[in-house]
Amino acid sequence: MIFLIEYNRSEGRVLTFRNFDESQRQDAEDLRLNIELALNRKGVDHEVVLLEAESEDALRRTHQRYFADLTQLLKSAGGQQG
Amino acid sequence: MTKKALSKTQIDRLGDRLKIGSHTESDLRLLDDYRRSFGEAYEAVLRTIRERGEFPTGRLAKSTLSIVEKLRRESIRLSQMQDIAGCRVVVADVAKQDQFVASLTTDFTGASVMDRRDKPSYGYRAVHVIAEISGKPIEIQVRTKLQHMWAELSEKSSDVLDPTIKYGGGSDVWRKFLTSSSEAVAAYETFEGRYAEAVAAHEEFEKATLELLAFHPPEQEVQETRARLGNSARRIAELQRKQARLWRVNADLLTQAITRLDKAKEPKR
Repeated sequence: MIFLIEYNRSEGRVLTFRNFDESQRQDAEDLRLNIELALNRKGVDHEVVLLEAESEDALRRTHQRYFADLTQLLKSAGGQQG
Repeated sequence: MTKKALSKTQIDRLGDRLKIGSHTESDLRLLDDYRRSFGEAYEAVLRTIRERGEFPTGRLAKSTLSIVEKLRRESIRLSQMQDIAGCRVVVADVAKQDQFVASLTTDFTGASVMDRRDKPSYGYRAVHVIAEISGKPIEIQVRTKLQHMWAELSEKSSDVLDPTIKYGGGSDVWRKFLTSSSEAVAAYETFEGRYAEAVAAHEEFEKATLELLAFHPPEQEVQETRARLGNSARRIAELQRKQARLWRVNADLLTQAITRLDKAKEPKR
């Protein structure tokens, strides 16, 4: 699955989250560009990325930064002992 | 329709405009074309990794914001950037990490390996492998789950506290926390390897003892072997306690950081 994320770094939160099938790669890339162009016109600096993972759960594991706040990340780290 | 490939000069001039913030809408489209030109190489790398039984999270496109920041931060040209597209693989521990990195260097001949475990970059520890497919570099980040945990903390801290944290900036207190936590994770992971070796040796000894007992050796030999096995088991238990103590160091740092954040959120009187 392909995921499009628009993320406001300073607020630490996701503003746009869309998922696409692998067959819709070009649609995802086009939408990413369109969001970026629209933000550029407004003079807004947001991170707009395309990520690909087996599932949303897998994405949330490898890119927690987009989904959890700092306290949640610290707590989750504390419970990670191998 | 296939677009004409951008020349190196065109790419670097685009990078120069992005760096000074004088880019236009057509520059963003040009950058997007450049990003998409990594598509085939990216897919080939992900396919190979999946065939190895791993589940990478791919990044088809590095964000423009990250590209611009990197151009401003480092003396690098856009055409030299090796992480326009890439992926991340999180594995259980250092042993698995070594094993997986070795398999990548076999799969991708000529791949370069950047091992940031012994010499961390502002606390960041991981192994990055750059595979090159048809002249396109694709970055594969290989992290253990603990290295990944630390990296997520560092990145999120940079997002919401201070964007310079990731590169050694930010408040003294937070920088010290991240440095100490990175060191604690490194110490834990080093010990984890030694512990795993000790457990394997103990299990081997245990197996050999059972085999020996099946031959009904003299009683004295049985007693001595059992005593040695007991000592080995006690040593493993001791190592386990030490491992827990090493983890505790990091857990305490994390707890202190949570307390610090909670205090910062309290309304000022």
